[in-house]
Amino acid sequence: MSSKNIENSVCEKPAGNQLQLVTFGVGPAILALDISSIQEINRNLKFTKVPHAPSFVRGVTNLRGEVVTIVDLHVVLGMKQAEVSSQSRNLIVKHDDELLGLWVDRIADIMTINTTALSSPPANLQGVPRKLIRGVHQTPESLVMILDLDEFMIACHASESA
Amino acid sequence: MQDDDILQEFVIESSEHLADVEGQLLEIEECGANINLDLVNTVFRAVHSVKGAAGFLGLTTINELAHNLENVLNQVRNQELVPSGPVVDILLRSADLLRNLVLNVDESNSVDVSTQVEELKKILSGDFDVGAVEQAVAEAMVEVSETVAEAVGTRTTPSNTESTKQVSGPAEDHNFEVPDGFAPDTVTNSPSQSDEATTAPAPKASAPQTPSPVSSGSQAPKNDAKHTTKLTESNVRVNVAILDRLMNLAGELVLGRNQLLQSVNSSSQEKLEAVASRLDQVTSELQEAIMQTRMQPVGTVFNRFPRVVRDLSAKLGKKCTLEIEGNEVEVDKTIVEAIGDPLTHLVRNSVDHGIELPEIRRSKGKPEEGRIHLRAFHAAGKVCIRIEDDGGGIDPAKIKAKALSNGLISEAEANSMSIADTLRLIFAPGFSTAAAVTDVSGRGVGMDVVKTNIEQIGGTVDVESELGQGSAIHITLPLTLAIIPSMIVGCGPDKFAIPQSSIAELVRVPIAEFNERIGNVQGAEVLRIRGALLPLVRLNKVFRIEEPETTAEERRSIHVIVVESGQFRYGVAVDELFDSEEIVVKPLGRQLKDLGYLAGATILGDGHVALILDIAGIAAHANLRSCEDLDTVKGIKQDNSYSEKHRLLLFNNAPDEQFAIPMACVSRIERTPVGDILDVGGRLILPYRGGTLPLLSIEEHITARPRSAEISHVFIVVFSVGGQREIGLIAPELKDICNVELEVDCGSLREPGVAGVIVVDELPTRLLDLNEMTKSAHPEWMDRETPVQSDGKHILIAEDSAFFRRHVEQTIKDEGYAVTTAVDGQDAWEKLQEMRPLPTVVVTDVEMPRMTGLEFCKCIRANERTCNLPVIALTSLASEEDVQRGKDVGIDDYQVKLDKTNLLASIAKYCSQARR
Repeated sequence: MSSKNIENSVCEKPAGNQLQLVTFGVGPAILALDISSIQEINRNLKFTKVPHAPSFVRGVTNLRGEVVTIVDLHVVLGMKQAEVSSQSRNLIVKHDDELLGLWVDRIADIMTINTTALSSPPANLQGVPRKLIRGVHQTPESLVMILDLDEFMIACHASESA
Repeated sequence: MQDDDILQEFVIESSEHLADVEGQLLEIEECGANINLDLVNTVFRAVHSVKGAAGFLGLTTINELAHNLENVLNQVRNQELVPSGPVVDILLRSADLLRNLVLNVDESNSVDVSTQVEELKKILSGDFDVGAVEQAVAEAMVEVSETVAEAVGTRTTPSNTESTKQVSGPAEDHNFEVPDGFAPDTVTNSPSQSDEATTAPAPKASAPQTPSPVSSGSQAPKNDAKHTTKLTESNVRVNVAILDRLMNLAGELVLGRNQLLQSVNSSSQEKLEAVASRLDQVTSELQEAIMQTRMQPVGTVFNRFPRVVRDLSAKLGKKCTLEIEGNEVEVDKTIVEAIGDPLTHLVRNSVDHGIELPEIRRSKGKPEEGRIHLRAFHAAGKVCIRIEDDGGGIDPAKIKAKALSNGLISEAEANSMSIADTLRLIFAPGFSTAAAVTDVSGRGVGMDVVKTNIEQIGGTVDVESELGQGSAIHITLPLTLAIIPSMIVGCGPDKFAIPQSSIAELVRVPIAEFNERIGNVQGAEVLRIRGALLPLVRLNKVFRIEEPETTAEERRSIHVIVVESGQFRYGVAVDELFDSEEIVVKPLGRQLKDLGYLAGATILGDGHVALILDIAGIAAHANLRSCEDLDTVKGIKQDNSYSEKHRLLLFNNAPDEQFAIPMACVSRIERTPVGDILDVGGRLILPYRGGTLPLLSIEEHITARPRSAEISHVFIVVFSVGGQREIGLIAPELKDICNVELEVDCGSLREPGVAGVIVVDELPTRLLDLNEMTKSAHPEWMDRETPVQSDGKHILIAEDSAFFRRHVEQTIKDEGYAVTTAVDGQDAWEKLQEMRPLPTVVVTDVEMPRMTGLEFCKCIRANERTCNLPVIALTSLASEEDVQRGKDVGIDDYQVKLDKTNLLASIAKYCSQARR
């Protein structure tokens, strides 16, 4: 999972029913997002806290002149706030025409999978609400859960009003 | 070029051609028989160009309509037809239809325009019937969509390219007012020109006048247009000169960057500084130039109003003229776009509700023709728009009645509302004054939408009106939304921006003065500033930002930013003040949109994001009640205790000898060098504003130690006697202005000039009676004031405090009224029963032993003989609830103690009423 590895995978174009995923770690879980929804992976971890913001909002940051909200995946998934480490990254995604930063613990890999190989989320999924998961991909080492960004954002707001 | 592209270009160009036709037709109508040939030609050419291009593109319907329109215009041009109202009506509608056809070019061929064409032909043949025309037109214009007008109005942006101007030749004079600058006669190298000769059966006269071709100015917009798949509002036409400047500046910026890189390499501090200042300048200029590209004259919006007023007044049978001023005033594009609808609404309102019918105007002695004045101007870094009419004005009584029936206000509120506040009710949601709902306006959603729209873009709306004279709506708009000057403040580790527009002043409270300046009212902190109490909001508390641990000794002075926003005025305490900066406003993400206290975010020089605070939102967040409510809190507190609070000015003459003057007596305070005070014949005077001000010094009139000789400057407390003569009292050292409970001891230390002794901050303080002091110093002034209006007017005063009794008595006597005093309510009631005749007005304190003012008033109202007597209550602080309680028992008016002017005005008012 070196950076070289990542670069190589980026170059490969997924064909037909193939799906290219960026996988990342949030606490103990390995999650993934469709690479097409990700604009960039940002190492700039400086951010401004926003008082009285919803708890899942970690703050706002400056992304080349745009003010981008950073969402803490930990909080949305019901864990305690993520710690800052040298591996922490901001995953910049585009959702509803708006840029959003997802604070993740580490970037794991970029992988191309076959959509047919996806299985539905198992019933005994731990830590992550089932409806946030589009599907599960099994690798020899781990279980990669593919996040449904739309559902995820709905869950963000629900968690706040709850 | 693809067909689609050509078609698209046709639409854009034709729209440009037709954009100004409306205004020009109106102008033509105004000229009447004195036909302005240039103007007619301009319109003619515009229509002609459209016709030519349409013919080439096979747009038969457009071609046919344009052709007939052109024929009528040709007749006008040849002076065979006078462009009277009905004729112009048809022309305008035809032009409207033509524009709509052009905008919906794909369907244009299937639209039936025969009725409209018929009407035009009728004009040509000389017989037309106005009624039928309207009918027909109404049918033909079914397709007219309202958005079209907007699209045309806003899409074309100002681009008075110099080059364009030069070629526009003959039409230039008239186009000057037309902000679009793209005069209809500016023909470009598109189909319209080349086709003219080939396809269009053009009248002979037109061709030669069609002016010359492509200007460099139209090149840029055209490229732009090619990319546009449909007409959107997001295009900006940019003046080539500005574009050139932008290019230059960009070049400069590149140069600056190169220099910067060089100097970083050579690491020479001097060079670096030079580059930095250069970059600074270039950036500012660049910013300014880019801002300019966004600026549009408000004329683009104003220009649609002559038509609105014309059509509407004709429909309503009214006569109105619209005067427009300040078309050239420029504001940000987004603002121009946003004010269109609210302004249209306001203009329509003026015609519909404001201007009266001609008969009514005549009967009122006004000219039959109503006048609506629309004016834009710059004021204090903002743009103001004023819409004035000389119509009937707004009747506050009707507004109140309406608001009451709508449940917007309560009876009590209605009674205590000022006229200005009453008028502002028209902006309340669900309010409409039109007695009947017309299709013009009066749907009850109007003004509050106007207000919301204007406030959304950071503006304010206010209304002024005089019944019978007319009304005015005043709109203030920011120049731009994108960049706002702001104060950067620090709170804990974070920085925030507060827009300068909401900052009233900055106050630094040194730690030494902390206890004196910052007080506590029911657990809420208040800042004492110039005698007033201001709610204080600590930003770190509101935001729950942890304060760095500091001990009391370490605490530094507090920075307070006094902010204002609508009804709120309060202080925001912050840890640090940084620079004032021009910040670029960036929107916040959806997740943070609901945070009311944030107006957005900005990026600071160090790349960090700073949040922009919304002052009204913070007030709401901090649960801040408006200042008025704070007063109520104080009022309630005082009701519990018995004595009353008054604002006193405290000063020392000699050290440790404190004196006090009620602030209500003080006109103003001046500071002057001791050397300027002259002693003339044993009397002190101060040369002042071209005259002299007589001065009193304390030690000369009452037993007091003289002021210290070392003082070089003294304060002069200026007050007036008998409402006309000004006198100054020398107050060597001002201590404070504070609200003090007046428990005046009138017995001890009583001497002429001293009303009594009070204890302030544990210091015995002599309360001065300025009237008496003046009397002892200048007896002749007081004697001369013989009663001037003592024509039987008699005032009964009930007041338990000797000090106030004497003060009020003197005040009223000075005005020439006869006065009877009573020491409490009981005493007053007994005296009143014996008085023959009754006094004209009763003035009573509220809080009194034995019988309170309220009880006294109840007695008055219950007795048949006295029930109509006007009663004015005196109070130290009239809170809303107090006033209401008083009103309930029949008190006519509330006046604040020591507010001489208003008390006298109120007495005079009730005296004159009593006479009637």
